[in-house]
Amino acid sequence: MIRLFRQFILRHLGKEKIRTFVTVLGIALGIAVVVAIQMTNSSSLRGFEKAIETVSGKTSLEITGSGTGLDEMRLNELNWLRQYGRISPIIEGDAEIETGDALSETLRVLGVDILRDRSFREYKILEFAEQRREPRPDEFLTLLLDPRSIILTERFAERHSLKVGDQVLMTFSDRREQYRIRGLLKNEGPARAMDGNFALMDIAAAQQAFNRIGRIDRVELLLRDRGGLDEAEKAIGAKLPDGLSVQRPARRGSQVEKMLEAFHFNLTALSYIALLVGLFLIYNTISISVITRREENGTLRALGVTGKQILALFLTEASVLAVIGCTAGLLLGRLLAFGAVKLTSTTVNALYIATAAEPPPLELKHAIIAFGIGLPLSLIAAAIPALEASGVSPTSAMRGNDRIETRFRLRPHFLVLPALLGLLAWWFSRLSPVNGLPAFGYAAAVSIVFGAAFMAPAVLFVLGRIGDKPLFRFFKIEGRLANANLSGAIPRISISVAALAVSLSMMVAIAVMIGSFRQTVIYWVEQTLKADLYMRPATRNNVADDIVFSPEAERVVAANPMVAAVDRFRNFDISYGSGLVTLGTGEFDKQLRHGKLIFKAPADGQQAMRSAIGQNAVIVSESFSIRHAKSVGDTIMLDTPKGETGFRINAVYYDYSNDRGIVVMDRGTYVRYFGEPQATSLSVYLKPGADADRVRDDLNKQFGSRFNILIYTNTSIRQEVLRIFDSTFSITYALEVIAIFVAILGVASTLLTLILERSREINILRLIGADRRQVRKMVVIEAGLMGGVSQGIGLVIGLLLSLVLIYVINVQSFGWTIQFHLPVGFLIQSSILILLATALSGLYPARRASKLHISRQQEEE
Amino acid sequence: MSIMSNRTRSVLTGAMLMASIIFIPLLTSIAMQPEPPRPDSREESSSADPWRKALPPYRFSFPADHSSHPDYKIEWWYYTGNVTSGDGRRFGYQLTFFRVGVDFAPQNPSRWTVRDLYSTHLAVSDIDGGKFDNAEKINRSGVGWAGASTENFRVWNEDWEAKLERNGNHILTAIDGEIGIELELEPGKPPIAHGDRGVSQKGSTPGNASHYYSLTRMPTAGHLIVKGERIKVSGLSWMDHEFGSSFLEKGQIGWDWMSLQLDDGTDLMIYRFRRQDGALDPHSNGTIINSDGRYFTIAFDRFEMEPISTWRSKRTGAEYPVEWRVKVPDKGIELTIKAAISDQEMETAESTGVTYWEGSVEIEGIHRGRQVRGRGYLEMTGYAGAAMGVLSE
Repeated sequence: MIRLFRQFILRHLGKEKIRTFVTVLGIALGIAVVVAIQMTNSSSLRGFEKAIETVSGKTSLEITGSGTGLDEMRLNELNWLRQYGRISPIIEGDAEIETGDALSETLRVLGVDILRDRSFREYKILEFAEQRREPRPDEFLTLLLDPRSIILTERFAERHSLKVGDQVLMTFSDRREQYRIRGLLKNEGPARAMDGNFALMDIAAAQQAFNRIGRIDRVELLLRDRGGLDEAEKAIGAKLPDGLSVQRPARRGSQVEKMLEAFHFNLTALSYIALLVGLFLIYNTISISVITRREENGTLRALGVTGKQILALFLTEASVLAVIGCTAGLLLGRLLAFGAVKLTSTTVNALYIATAAEPPPLELKHAIIAFGIGLPLSLIAAAIPALEASGVSPTSAMRGNDRIETRFRLRPHFLVLPALLGLLAWWFSRLSPVNGLPAFGYAAAVSIVFGAAFMAPAVLFVLGRIGDKPLFRFFKIEGRLANANLSGAIPRISISVAALAVSLSMMVAIAVMIGSFRQTVIYWVEQTLKADLYMRPATRNNVADDIVFSPEAERVVAANPMVAAVDRFRNFDISYGSGLVTLGTGEFDKQLRHGKLIFKAPADGQQAMRSAIGQNAVIVSESFSIRHAKSVGDTIMLDTPKGETGFRINAVYYDYSNDRGIVVMDRGTYVRYFGEPQATSLSVYLKPGADADRVRDDLNKQFGSRFNILIYTNTSIRQEVLRIFDSTFSITYALEVIAIFVAILGVASTLLTLILERSREINILRLIGADRRQVRKMVVIEAGLMGGVSQGIGLVIGLLLSLVLIYVINVQSFGWTIQFHLPVGFLIQSSILILLATALSGLYPARRASKLHISRQQEEE
Repeated sequence: MSIMSNRTRSVLTGAMLMASIIFIPLLTSIAMQPEPPRPDSREESSSADPWRKALPPYRFSFPADHSSHPDYKIEWWYYTGNVTSGDGRRFGYQLTFFRVGVDFAPQNPSRWTVRDLYSTHLAVSDIDGGKFDNAEKINRSGVGWAGASTENFRVWNEDWEAKLERNGNHILTAIDGEIGIELELEPGKPPIAHGDRGVSQKGSTPGNASHYYSLTRMPTAGHLIVKGERIKVSGLSWMDHEFGSSFLEKGQIGWDWMSLQLDDGTDLMIYRFRRQDGALDPHSNGTIINSDGRYFTIAFDRFEMEPISTWRSKRTGAEYPVEWRVKVPDKGIELTIKAAISDQEMETAESTGVTYWEGSVEIEGIHRGRQVRGRGYLEMTGYAGAAMGVLSE
């Protein structure tokens, strides 16, 4: 059997190098995309969770406040915590460190009272006082006493050739200042976080640097009795005063995980489309193997090889191809992940969390994903043609009469099945999300896709009937022949056409969805962004982080003579339900006077917003309203430092800036419950006639090198919004391109199959006078036809899918209203491109066809 | 009540030096680190030492001087005592609050700025149970977790505190899990001020000194917590309070110090330095306080301290003399001092990182021809390697 396999399969694969390569490439690409997306998804979370895990060290529980950390004086209400163990107040945040010309990196900074904190985390100082010993607590403290002291990690220092005593330029929130490296941490404990991008500071210095004087981010608790974690958590939770809560460190990670869930779910769903297309390719390839060796197959059968053995041979072949493809896909996936992380990191950073810019290393679980998906699916795809081959009787195989079902008969099920699937899709699209994820939305999409796939034979049949005349007119006899050839091979080509149509429909759908979304965002940006300048501290925003303006910087802005009004906006994430929502506060009357929100409800949103002033009332974004099923008139409960409080929703407004939902309250209301807000962003309205660019330049000059503040003019913020928008969808396009590439490979290999199957007919054509050029032209037309039909089906189905995407999946996963908009130009362009690309893919099969040997065929005839 | 010290005696007390040694790590690491660059105030910061120096004359005033003196860099309140329960079980205790100034005028408005560091050592010796336990705390003031008030004496570190009641009694509270003290101390004999004109000179440089007084015999009652058991006790305590800015001496590797309360009402404080060269140190010194409160200094060449037997610590390997013979021939004193428990070694890894022996002792001997007994406290530093290393730095 092994010898048989070697001679029958391996030799063949070796001879048909290109086709083997195409198959392996198809599997590899499909697997690679899935693996890459898995890696990308886990990298954005992994970085964050890993950092939480490494930084939290031995901490058993943490006490957090509602709102922006907790007022440090409240620590005195927590003295009873000592009966449970040790406590340590923490400041944590991200800061930028300049590492070279115009280069900077983000550091996770932990501000602690080192006298307390050493029992929570292992800080190993590298060569303290030029000796190999650990500093005593007081010595450690002295390293950090100066407010401009920082301890970095050995790894980071090595990467950037830094040493103890060096000065580094750092930006905390909005201020840029020199810090002196007072020590380096060995690669242990928290120093391992973020690949060494970790810094340690004294809590006092950190408070000042992050503009968090008077408050801390959390209190960590190290239980004396580590076994009693559950009881301690419960007991402490019951005893904590209003506005404080206890949780395990990992909870911060799970909240972020929840937040990224929808984003990741959608990426994963997309990646499976590429795989699906890859499967069609496997089917094709195995079919080709079977068909091209029908004579050998017959010979083997005549020599006594059983049908089962034949089946085994082909399945083994499929396994070999799949193993090679999966292995290559795994490695390729890792490479693609670099690109994918890059493509998604802008989005994740802009909308969710700052993440490590590197995908995780290959792990066993990725291999399990790759082989677990690739191998069984390949075998199933191969089983169908292989079963056919094994069922063929020796004689008919030897005679070459093994082509199964060459004629297509339009049976009712070709229409009934798509209709049923269409109905199913309609039903799915009306179901609610599962755990906030649009599972049924995707089920609807899949139903539509399969409906389209099953409809392909019928469409091809009808088109074959009516296509003869126009094709003859345009392409003469070659066109007519091409049409006849395709019509005669509907069962064979419909799979390729379906595959290509599916990818194309996804492309169309996504293009329509993104185009509509973009148009909606442009409209929203134009309507709502009315300020002349927008400012925010330059350090990257993180969910768990809280970057605020320093008072000096705000004074500089307020003092500018051209400034008419400054709307100070404060936002941060708070727990709501099991996840996070954004709580914002600004001055409603300023917003009403200068800005312009677009309200979804009620009709007079402006008035509703005005009436919220002075009340326990808020306005919420549409995404909040949809995700949490709350609307105007409902009351939502928010945790405030004063305890849980109900706020009435006065209005729902459109917002596309984040998908977790925003709750906005007037400054007065905020102050009552959360205290005086620090600003996280400023909207600046200028006096009439002022030149925004000039004011920006002036402010930048005044800020000089001391501050690191981003200032956008109205024009540039719009560009920035679109830049983030576009980068959000770049990964989507990238995945689509791969899927279409795989589908076109499928068309080429299908044609090749057809050519080989029809080699007899082609030879007859040659015998009766067709020259090579004509044969080539015919094959290329066939390829183009397949592409055209696929694109036609793709367009129709794509529009249907886009409706599902816009009105079901998007609403369920992000809670955004998108106005439908048809990107006509893009659709025309891409249709032409697809037609050309498929026609070109016919070139290789065409060359093969035109080079078929006449002599052998003649003998047979 | 006020004391103007007018006796020309150079009293360099052992307690002072004990604390110096404990704080050498702090002092050296804080004082010796290069001044961090502060662009705005570089000139000022390098020029003047902002901490107040202990210069004569100083007039002590009570109860005000029990409170904190934050202008001085170093300050501590030191309580030791020997107590007995109703059923005759004997115990010793030590509670010491240290304040070390770190940054005289911090620029950072944060409450967590380290203006002062507070560390506190607590020890309880269960003499009949043969058990010694200790605990420690170190804190910055932060949100008020530790501190020392400048009026109405109160010094605290988390929930450990020492404070003065209106009636003049000292209240000590410090509980850490299985051990603790809850004691009320009457002042007993009036405070004695050490040194000359309120200044205890430590070296030749002016300001290399401290202001220092003691309460040497404080009737004590309250409770001890030993192995989780709350025990009613009574006995005698000793308090030292000292504040200054700089008092380090070089060449000393450690010292042996004792405070002894005899049953005839006499109190004796005595110590000797151990020098690297093995010579007798002229700063070695002692004080005798009569039962009527009058007191006299004993110069280094007027007494003898002789170790008789030693005990080796399994934890640190250090070997401590736990039995001594003390003679003050001029005063007719000849005493045998013996550790109530051999192992009263303090390891303070979490606060100061220094290891020393501090514990209850029992006394037997002769004073002016009469048989006397007594109890007291013995302190020995510089025996464990870490402290030696720190000292020689």
